[in-house]
Amino acid sequence: MDSGVVVEFAHLGVTYANGVVALSDLSLTLAADQAVCVVGPSGCGKTTLLRVLAGLEKATNGEVQLSRPATLAMVFQQGLLFPWLSVADNISYGLMTRGATPPQCRAAAREWSERMGLQRFIDAYPHQLSGGMQQRVGLARALAVNPDLLLLDEPFAALDAQTRVLMQELLVDLRQQGLCRSMLLVTHAIDEALLVGDRVVVLSARPGRIIADVTPAVTHGQSFDEIRAQPAFMQAFTTIWQLIRREVEAQLHEEVTL
Amino acid sequence: MNQSRWLTWLSPLLLLVLWEGAVQLGLLNRVFIPPPSEVVVALAKALRDGSMQHDVLVSSQRIGLGFLIGALPGTLLGIWSGLNRTVLALVRPLATMLYPVPKIALLPLVIVVLGIGEVSKVATVAVSVFLMVVIHTIGGVLQIDQRYFEAARVFGANQRTVFRTVALPASLPAIVEGWKLAMGFALTLIVGVEFVGANDGIGYRIWQSYELYAIADMMAAVCVIAGLGWVVTVVLDEVARLVVPWQYTVKESRMSVVRTWWGAVRPWSYTAAIVPVLLGAAIAAQHVGLNWWLLILALIGSIAIQGGTNLMNDYYDYRKGTDTPAVKGTGGALLRGDLTPTQIFWAGICAFGIGAAIGLYLVSVTGPFIFWLGLCSVAVGYFYTAGPFALAYVGLGEIAVFIFMGPVMVLGSYYLQIPTVAWPAVWVSLPVAFVVAAILHANNLRDIDTDRINHKRTLATIFGRDGARIEYYVLVGGTFVSQWVLVALGVAPWPTLVTLIMLPLAWKLMGIAGREVDPAALQPVLRQTAVLHMRFGLLYVLGWVIALWV
Repeated sequence: MDSGVVVEFAHLGVTYANGVVALSDLSLTLAADQAVCVVGPSGCGKTTLLRVLAGLEKATNGEVQLSRPATLAMVFQQGLLFPWLSVADNISYGLMTRGATPPQCRAAAREWSERMGLQRFIDAYPHQLSGGMQQRVGLARALAVNPDLLLLDEPFAALDAQTRVLMQELLVDLRQQGLCRSMLLVTHAIDEALLVGDRVVVLSARPGRIIADVTPAVTHGQSFDEIRAQPAFMQAFTTIWQLIRREVEAQLHEEVTL
Repeated sequence: MNQSRWLTWLSPLLLLVLWEGAVQLGLLNRVFIPPPSEVVVALAKALRDGSMQHDVLVSSQRIGLGFLIGALPGTLLGIWSGLNRTVLALVRPLATMLYPVPKIALLPLVIVVLGIGEVSKVATVAVSVFLMVVIHTIGGVLQIDQRYFEAARVFGANQRTVFRTVALPASLPAIVEGWKLAMGFALTLIVGVEFVGANDGIGYRIWQSYELYAIADMMAAVCVIAGLGWVVTVVLDEVARLVVPWQYTVKESRMSVVRTWWGAVRPWSYTAAIVPVLLGAAIAAQHVGLNWWLLILALIGSIAIQGGTNLMNDYYDYRKGTDTPAVKGTGGALLRGDLTPTQIFWAGICAFGIGAAIGLYLVSVTGPFIFWLGLCSVAVGYFYTAGPFALAYVGLGEIAVFIFMGPVMVLGSYYLQIPTVAWPAVWVSLPVAFVVAAILHANNLRDIDTDRINHKRTLATIFGRDGARIEYYVLVGGTFVSQWVLVALGVAPWPTLVTLIMLPLAWKLMGIAGREVDPAALQPVLRQTAVLHMRFGLLYVLGWVIALWV
């Protein structure tokens, strides 16, 4: 495994206790400093992939190999902030568990809350914040540990459309500042994958296999509207949508014939 | 008070009036159903001869002890069962089986085993509290969303951290709810237990009154137990607000009363009230054995007056409109609407009242000098922000604080121990006077711009920003320099030089104060100057205490 690789899956398979095969024979290599987005139809095992990486699920076949002891952090779909901790304590949670002193935690919380525009809410509890603000805290909590690989599980799916765009821009901005290097983002929104990611991996319907692994010729570093207007963007969007559409339709057909 | 709150009082009042009227008109038999007025008379009598207090105390002890003995292990076992499947399998069936058994039915058995004394009563309460708390705690732990555990694990939490940061806080609301229910249950139970085998306690009193056919006494006891229940509810509700604050931060819901008042009276400012009193006593202790009773009274009195001053300060600042949400730290509770101005005002009056009462007692013990000292202090405390010549608004704040929270208080505390006016006590107090004035000045330095806009004249607005910075240097520097001079002259003992360890903090603060302009950046200076005062003051006192032996 060469040094530019963060994580490597080889012939990964996950079968649940109830016999459902979530993933089968999935091989994937994530390079350092790459933003990889995984898209696919609902229930294709995208989230399972992340959970295996995060150590929340065991692979039944194959293996996951991390280059050196890598620090992972995760942003969850519903934010999943700890309701009983203040915004500051939520942000510094990963540092606290790794033995940071209270002043260090406080300093990190202050730094990240300023970066995320949360400084006014640093002593608030999560339920006092809007969904977008909560997800900013979730992002800050994950990035505060300076992870080698950031995992994002449909992080913006529960947000309203306007907030979602702002959060996507924030994420891109954070990457440009070099604050989150490698990331693996699971989403069902193709445009999100193309706007945020360098590389898009398309999974088939369950059990999830890789049916496409593309690096679209989209030029980043422009406004989202400009990126959307690029021919490369539209072309990639259509290609990926056709792939997923076929999967979804096949699945529907299967269910009908059953 | 709004209309609906009046209405909630109306129906019980109406009932009482109708009841009284019906008895007085002879519609109800006075022997069986005595009127409220007679119940009040019976209650007053029982309170006068002290028997009611005794019974309440006895019952409260039984409940309190039984609650502690039951709730603590109940909570621990509940959490353990919730987290461990094996323990759960062992505990839950038993707990659920025993739970519906009326605990009073077990009393005879308990008496057979443990005898008829206190132990059996406490044990009965403890068992029922234990079962209730176990069941609620198990429920609380089991209903924790598993994803929180996962999130904690992803962020590297080990077993112990997961327990401390997820399992415990997530189940606390249910645990506290269990405590509340168990306490209500304990109250019901104790009455029944005392009916049977007791010769004191509130339940015994009810039963005894029944046997003597003293219905008014019986009703008085029932009223008392209702009152007790209400007190317990209020206390536990407050406990809940303290233990699970995140559940009480919704807009409609109020914050913990303790927290709110804690913020309003700003207890951290009390070191300013405590340090001079301790210092005066420590100096006096060089010559005589301490009168601890007077020292403690002086401390309480001083804290009360400081609290009163803080509250009045908030009240008048709010009325004058000086404090806007932009100005942090003062009158926060008022600005957030947690407390009304009237509440603040009367709480301030009460605090001053306590201070005055203690002051008068001290005067009666020691003599008129303390009276004049106290009177001046109260006057300065009141006119600090009140009245047309509010000291704080005409640039006299620092000077007033310097004199009264330094020499005057030290001298007063010294005088309580040794009734002479000792000038050395005044010199010795100077370092403390400098640093306490520095706290106030740090505040004024931070607020220099807003105070100008509000035409609040402080030394900072008079001197301008550069002058105000020099004033801060002088006050913080004076703290240390004055002490060195005192030690050099042999007025203060050399162990007081332990305060030198605060020099780096002082240096850092002077640096920030000389550099920053932004109020947000100056906020830490204010907070840290208060810390400097507290640590410097306590170390200085410590030096004097060490000097007793070296």
